Amino acid sequence: MQPLQSMAPVTPRGFRDVLFEEAREREAVERAMSAVFALWGYDPVETPVVEEAATLQIGIPGEIERSAFRLFDLDGSLLALRPELTVPIARLTASRLAGMPGPHRVRYATEVFREQASLRGQARQFTQVGVEFIGARGPAADTEVLLLLIEALSAAGLESFTVGLGTAEVLRALLDRAGGTDEWRQAMIAAAQDRNLVEIDRLSAREDLHPDLAFAFRELPNIRGGREALERCQALALACECRDSVCSVAETWRTLEALGHGDRIQVDFGIMRSLDYYTGLQIEAYAPGLGLPLAGGGRYDRLLSAFGDPAPAAGFALGLERVMIALAEQGRTPRLESLDAVLGGRMPAEVFAAAARLRGAGWRVRLATGRTGTALVREADDFSALEALVVEGDTIRRVDRHGEAAIPLGDPVPEPPRLTWAAKGGDAR
Amino acid sequence: MIARRNSGERLLRMALPKGSLYAESVALLERAGYDTTGLADPGRQLTLRAGDMEFIIGKPTDIPVYVAYGAVDVAIAGKDTLVESALDVVEMADLRFGACRFVVAEPEDAERSVAEIYRHLGVIRVATKYPRVTEQHFARRGLQVELVKLSGNIELAPLIGLADQVVDITATGRTLKENHLRIVDDVLESTARFVANPVSLKTNSDRVTGLASALAAAAATD
Repeated sequence: MQPLQSMAPVTPRGFRDVLFEEAREREAVERAMSAVFALWGYDPVETPVVEEAATLQIGIPGEIERSAFRLFDLDGSLLALRPELTVPIARLTASRLAGMPGPHRVRYATEVFREQASLRGQARQFTQVGVEFIGARGPAADTEVLLLLIEALSAAGLESFTVGLGTAEVLRALLDRAGGTDEWRQAMIAAAQDRNLVEIDRLSAREDLHPDLAFAFRELPNIRGGREALERCQALALACECRDSVCSVAETWRTLEALGHGDRIQVDFGIMRSLDYYTGLQIEAYAPGLGLPLAGGGRYDRLLSAFGDPAPAAGFALGLERVMIALAEQGRTPRLESLDAVLGGRMPAEVFAAAARLRGAGWRVRLATGRTGTALVREADDFSALEALVVEGDTIRRVDRHGEAAIPLGDPVPEPPRLTWAAKGGDAR
Repeated sequence: MIARRNSGERLLRMALPKGSLYAESVALLERAGYDTTGLADPGRQLTLRAGDMEFIIGKPTDIPVYVAYGAVDVAIAGKDTLVESALDVVEMADLRFGACRFVVAEPEDAERSVAEIYRHLGVIRVATKYPRVTEQHFARRGLQVELVKLSGNIELAPLIGLADQVVDITATGRTLKENHLRIVDDVLESTARFVANPVSLKTNSDRVTGLASALAAAAATD
């Protein structure tokens, strides 16, 4: 037989394996956040890893669409790995959920892919955990989405974070009042998205622009905070005769403040994610000391009409990797024990039967059939098990540090040691 | 990638570019009323504390990376390096110093005009240290170019037959002239900018915007 050709065992640039400890921690955090969404009645959906490239082109403007990971299949169709979930879920809603009674509340936790230039140290695969609330509009719907984000971040274990709440509507209203060439309008939108205050300043110097509007364009990206920020924006909007554009965000903020989230939520008119995509609410979440947002999202009432099924919608996606980094920085990574015991014994049938009894009582057990004594203790150490157990006949015994089988575990099998610790006030997880 | 910093840190971290923008950056900070003790002559030190700020002295082209990935909160950087890096930073104020411009230049005594080369060969060869700026410029002009990225002495490229034109930065035009190159087109004007990490602007809003307006005011009264 021909020997297999050998090669260096590497992953492609920007992709990586996730192993044991990290994988357990990611799983725990993802489940904690998904559990919050489930409690709010959000149902899970799964979409294909690949979409028609044309589907993404319709849905996502600019940067994300450009960074999609593309491939050709054997039929010559241009496909793309999903760079996010909002557009695939909009496609799914417009096709599979058409005609079903809404509104729809869906959640997901899955991998997305983005092409990245080399030597920028950026991952090409990461995990997004998020929700979409489709078929509802208005401040109540916006508030629900923001509450989900706050609760998910708290459930993940983060102690310190802020959620930024913005709107696309004020800028849109100002642009409508400002008139001007299409070119000027596009340049202003681009500058607002790039947060290029120097360019906004330059564009606001347009000669025929009303001074109130020029002032508003310059001020808007710098308005953030609580009630006083809202009042400043309302004053600007009033002077520019577009007061209505602030109403929705003001009401959302007031509700959240009344619910006691005033210190978590920051109104921020500088958040401008993409004006083609978002209509109204814009969301970002931040952790102190972390230079990139933990989450992003907003309201995109026009997206579903691109798929022929107009409906208002809002949602957000959390970056699981960024949440894990923020947790690590705040010393809040979940503490997890993976294993309660290793179970040895000479007779396989006895070991399997005893393991079934242990699992039934909630023990996480790793089998070490054929091992006893010090070999069993070593295995327990190697896999950080809390106990080494051995079965003889139908008696399960604890094995001490010297490999001696000692006290019987008892019948029925007691709860695993972690539960006992939790009862004593230790870490339940 | 994302910079990992201790979230309990109370210092505002600011990067300053080594080289031609450095002295004026320090002078501007001082005029704006910030403590710049030790900055004027940092020796070989790359990080330095003064007042409630921590200063990082970095290579100009690396500064957008520090800011975008959140390793520093704010920085002073040339518009040229910002455009070339194409990274996500908030450009908060034009500090007006360090003016220079990107230009297209070609040999004064070029035997064949670039237009003629383009007509016959359909492509212009361009050498530059700034491939992204160059690519955008020629794309706007609708000209097809072959770009070659060099690390320095760009003015040499036409002399040794490597390129028909160069895109380079010039403050006075002297280096170009000494190498018998003439400016044929303007690409971009550059000055020093005050930039911030997008999230630092949200989480450390008062100090970042305070610094931006103090520097902008000091730059305006110069």
